Amino acid sequence: MRLLFDRIFQGADEMLALAEQALAAAVAEIGESAPVNMPNTAYFLANHSAYLKKNIRTIGDLNAAFPEVKRWHQREQRLENVFNTGFATFMAAEVIEACKYAVSADPYNGEYHGHLSDAEVRELGVPLVTGDIPGFVVIIGPAPSDEEAAELIKGYQSRAIFVFLIGGVIDQAKRMGVATGFPVRVVAVGPDIWQTAHIISFVNRAAMIFGAVTPGDREGFDHYTFHRIRAFVNAFDPVADIVAACGAGAIAMGFPVVTNDEKDMWPVPKSLIIQPASEDFIETSLEARDIRIKITKIDIPVAYSTAFEGEIVRRHDMQLDIDGSRVDCCELVTTKQPHEIEDHEITLIGPDFEEFEQGSRVCLCYVAEVAGKTMQADFEPVFERRIHDFVNRAEGVMHTGQRDNLRIRVSKDAFAAGFRARHIGEILYAAIKSDYESVVDKCAIKIYTRPEDCREIRALAQAVYEKRDERLAALTDESVDVFYDCILCQSFSPAHVCVVTPERLGLCGAVSWLDAKAANELDPNGACHKVTKERVVDEHLGIWEDVNETVKEASHGNLEQVTLYSIMVDPMTSCGCFECICGIEPLSNGVVIVHREHTGMTPLGMTFSEMASMTGGGVQTPGFMGHGKQFISSRKFMRGEGGPARIVWMPKALKEMVSAKLNAAAKELYGLEDFSALIADESVTEDVETLMEYLAEKEHPVLGMEPLM
Amino acid sequence: MADTPAMYEQHRSKEEILSGFTTVEQLEADTAKLRELACAACAETWADRSAGQTPHCRFGEEGICCRICSMGPCRVTKKAARGICGADEHAIAGRHYLRMAAAGSAAHSDHAREIAYVLRQASPTGSFPIRDEEKLLSLAAEWGIPAAGRDIYDVAHEVAEAGLNEFGKPFGTQRFLSRATRERQALWEKEGLAPRAIDREVSASLHMTHMGNTAEPEPLVRQSLRVGLADGYGGSMISTFFSDILFGTPTARASEANLGVLEAEMVNLIVHGHDPVFSEMVVLAAEEKEMADHAKSLGAKGINVVGLCCTANEVAMRHGVRMAGNFLQQENVILTGAAEAVCVDVQCIFPALGPLAGCFHTKFITSSPVARIPGSIYMPFEPDTALEQARAIVKLAVENFVNRDPAKVFIPSHKQPAAVGYPTEQIIRELDGVTNSHVDERGSYMPAIDSIKAGVLRGAVAMVGCNNPKVRPDYSHIEIMKTLIRSDILIVATGCAAQAAAKAGLLSKDAKYMCGAGLRRVCELVGIPPVLHMGACVDISRMMLLVNEIANDWGVDVTRLPIVGCAPEWMSEKAVAIANYVVATGIDTYLGIEPQVKGSAEMMRLITEGTRKITGAGYIINTDPHALVQAMIDGIEQKRALLGI
Repeated sequence: MRLLFDRIFQGADEMLALAEQALAAAVAEIGESAPVNMPNTAYFLANHSAYLKKNIRTIGDLNAAFPEVKRWHQREQRLENVFNTGFATFMAAEVIEACKYAVSADPYNGEYHGHLSDAEVRELGVPLVTGDIPGFVVIIGPAPSDEEAAELIKGYQSRAIFVFLIGGVIDQAKRMGVATGFPVRVVAVGPDIWQTAHIISFVNRAAMIFGAVTPGDREGFDHYTFHRIRAFVNAFDPVADIVAACGAGAIAMGFPVVTNDEKDMWPVPKSLIIQPASEDFIETSLEARDIRIKITKIDIPVAYSTAFEGEIVRRHDMQLDIDGSRVDCCELVTTKQPHEIEDHEITLIGPDFEEFEQGSRVCLCYVAEVAGKTMQADFEPVFERRIHDFVNRAEGVMHTGQRDNLRIRVSKDAFAAGFRARHIGEILYAAIKSDYESVVDKCAIKIYTRPEDCREIRALAQAVYEKRDERLAALTDESVDVFYDCILCQSFSPAHVCVVTPERLGLCGAVSWLDAKAANELDPNGACHKVTKERVVDEHLGIWEDVNETVKEASHGNLEQVTLYSIMVDPMTSCGCFECICGIEPLSNGVVIVHREHTGMTPLGMTFSEMASMTGGGVQTPGFMGHGKQFISSRKFMRGEGGPARIVWMPKALKEMVSAKLNAAAKELYGLEDFSALIADESVTEDVETLMEYLAEKEHPVLGMEPLM
Repeated sequence: MADTPAMYEQHRSKEEILSGFTTVEQLEADTAKLRELACAACAETWADRSAGQTPHCRFGEEGICCRICSMGPCRVTKKAARGICGADEHAIAGRHYLRMAAAGSAAHSDHAREIAYVLRQASPTGSFPIRDEEKLLSLAAEWGIPAAGRDIYDVAHEVAEAGLNEFGKPFGTQRFLSRATRERQALWEKEGLAPRAIDREVSASLHMTHMGNTAEPEPLVRQSLRVGLADGYGGSMISTFFSDILFGTPTARASEANLGVLEAEMVNLIVHGHDPVFSEMVVLAAEEKEMADHAKSLGAKGINVVGLCCTANEVAMRHGVRMAGNFLQQENVILTGAAEAVCVDVQCIFPALGPLAGCFHTKFITSSPVARIPGSIYMPFEPDTALEQARAIVKLAVENFVNRDPAKVFIPSHKQPAAVGYPTEQIIRELDGVTNSHVDERGSYMPAIDSIKAGVLRGAVAMVGCNNPKVRPDYSHIEIMKTLIRSDILIVATGCAAQAAAKAGLLSKDAKYMCGAGLRRVCELVGIPPVLHMGACVDISRMMLLVNEIANDWGVDVTRLPIVGCAPEWMSEKAVAIANYVVATGIDTYLGIEPQVKGSAEMMRLITEGTRKITGAGYIINTDPHALVQAMIDGIEQKRALLGI
């Protein structure tokens, strides 16, 4: 029997040889000075950066670093060398991929995903910490049959595990019609084993972004991936030496490998697990990586998992279109007295789905009635905002929007599987009861499908929304006694803590002051805790002694002081999963804000990814700050520096999202009409000279403000 | 909601953690400071006496001085190659060697006999109830003693009697031999090594070495193996199992080690020796509220019971009682000036403690007729009134607190966290934690075996033995252990070796940062320290179970396993008995102190190479710890190569 370590060393030799060839070919074809750029990342070649502490910019840099990569591959029979050899294999794989991207900006032509962007890393921050994505699997295959491949992928998907595919399993998925893509959390990375470099790069960037691990800190990367990234590998028989070499790297990072290959394979507890019955891969793997899936048992005829949140139901696949923008629709959570409702009673008032024509637009309203001794009216909007996630998780059901501008599409497949109106009720019931079990003793759902009922319910709901909005508008930082901290992200970004106030929601956009309050009352020992604000130091900048004390304690001594309303003086830190990044633009004395979805350039000469890499991981970087979209229109946004009037540039899409509220704020603060029109966007310019001309032409108020620095 | 952040370990830097371990130099600096104190108190320590004894008598050191009859003493020199009776250097060294082994076996076994008598008297209302019924019942089943429908104490008493019969039974061999692999049992039978009654093997050894008996070295060496086995699979194993039945099988728990566990503001009561029977009672008595109240009324903050030597190992792994130190630390404890009482049982107690205690306020209490020492208060232990006696001792210590002279107090601050209590049962439990229920069986050593086969772990070493002033104390233990764990070799340790590890921090889970990547990963996944504390020196019987069970799970005989034993600082006769049963079990034993047979080339050959032909194992001797550990690593790699792994 061949020794495991020898197989790994042999596999590394193969990968290094391939990398050497690829490098030589790239040098010959495009020359040493040709740039090496992975798209949409500020972390260069992340694996080289992580392990070698080298920022690779050109083919020449790559070539110069290669001897060092080779030195990581030593042959003494010790696990230390095996682990290092695994990393050498990953770096060699990255060399092969980097050469491809140096020659062509889009080497996979959409057929495979290839490189993953920084924005994609950041997007996963929140679902990972909330446990909505309990882990990642890398499937290296082909599976024994197409059917088994599809079953495995779908099995993981239904458990909300994020799936990366490498090799023949991708074609199998295609043949079986399994949808792939980042939004549905099944990513066809590439056909060859060296494309694992992209997955490792993804993981290493997570460590840098969320964990503030610094390049070259090998111990830091190992610790982060071992303790915080719940990933694992499923490798199908036959596992070649080169795959085993990659497996060594994965195991070094703490990611167990499960395989059905028994030949020359050596089991290692919790690390290399031989499971001859590949149909048991899922359960075996989850146990190996200590992943416990929270089961929400819901009585519906389609699959239910967070993995389906990103699924899109297109017009021609659509059975029904429940469209709140055209007909009367709404969703509402309302509190009742316990005796008024019967638990788990789901009532459909009006015709069911089969009574509507295929493809038709219909109205639909649903009301979740909840009761419980500790239930408060303030929790209603908190629950209600989660309905989008709850409904969206059903396979073949797409939910967008909220309140009375919601839209639900039910696919033909879901309908054919038996999905009916009542099942929306089942989903709401199960999700509310399980997520809020400590306050909701009883829950009943009423669903309306007749136009006249919908009109009436919608009017009723609108009155409730209005009242809630008034309450929200009245909620200011001054009007409340306490703020909340949120350390949800510490499972991922151990040094970061958010302070959530009525006028400043969490930077991820997912935790408002009301959410934090509800979270604290639901579980006082959970992620959100009360922060008193009694000992004010500087109300204008937003500094309180009590807040500082909390921040110091919650950040494990990492932070001494934060301001809540300044970007220049001790700004609040970020975990890395912020919705927007704001950075100062020195020439205009203003700031540029970019949201995560925008991949283009900004007048700072930096993309979102590059700006984002300036902060994150709980590090304070004056001049850069991550925040939620809604914070832009807050009266407290950059109050220390003069407020939203500092904003000089935003992507058009973001501007559209926030303009109504931002304009209202500017009117109130500065008496300005239509302020958002003064803010430049990518249609105006991406360079700073033109930006200055534009600001001068528009007489942007920033030009009259004090210098920022 | 997802995992709460609290479950995540905060990342501390490796450098920060590594700088927190105690070095040998720091241990030595503490001892040096305490020796200054000793000077001030006009007391002496082992270091002074060792200087006075150096150089040692060469004839004694080489084992060629015969004092067996009154015609002598005779010694072998170039001019006089034989003693008066004609015994040559091989006979003299061989007889002396066997007598050491027999004495060691007698010591462990007599300790076992004491415990067997206590078990014979166990009662639900007395000082000694049964704490591990499951173990009692499984032993009853193993020995064919009926238990169904019987009172558990009737069963206990019959098991105790069966155990006592192992000492003097006229026919048959030791019952526990059946716990060895089939190959081992057959080999022992074939080679005539299977031990008969324990007392008979000790007597036979003394008889063989009597004037005018065996003069041929090989039979003396063979009898050494046999009397050793009577200890390892007789006395020691009985002691271990009966102690577990009476006091509970140890489980993993947290403790601390080194002089820093003494408390400046508390009554410090030290239990020292080997037999846990009495110390168990002292620990219980000290936990009583009345005692703590009494201490407080006299100005102390409470009562701090700590252990020394193997008594420390026993109470640490059953109660988490903290460990003040090992063999050569015993005087240091009194030198701190903060020891209100030192209560001892048997073995490895310096007679020097009597006069030393007299220089301080320390009360020195002996409790066994086996260990009577001048300068002590003698309170012979009686099982019937044990708890009452223990209370009296605690009271004595408490009331002595007021006599402490603050001017004489110096407690070195060094101490280290230690995870202790890894008998075989606990090791299996830990290994179960890394099995995968979809592919693995639970309750076996397969996770460890798989890790060794794959190369993640290179092998395992049993670190045992004492301290010996002939080498730098603790240095050999600690240097060897650090090198082994850096080389991905897992360590199980007992006795003073385990305590040396504890003082240096090697029993802490943070010690994974000193390991090679393979052992470190095993420590992280299993959640264990790289050095597993298996108990007192009598618990080397647990190590024998461990290797035999691993061999059974692996499907090869013990001698083929990449597992070796090491006693780098051994000194006692018990160590000679142990080394013999370890070699008889088929495990190579690496010694850092030369056995006293060097004057006989034939004996040296027999103990290093000769036994190999009989049991498959022998001694490898090297007084340089670095050379010794390299030999162990090479030996392990050689065994791996022979297995094709």
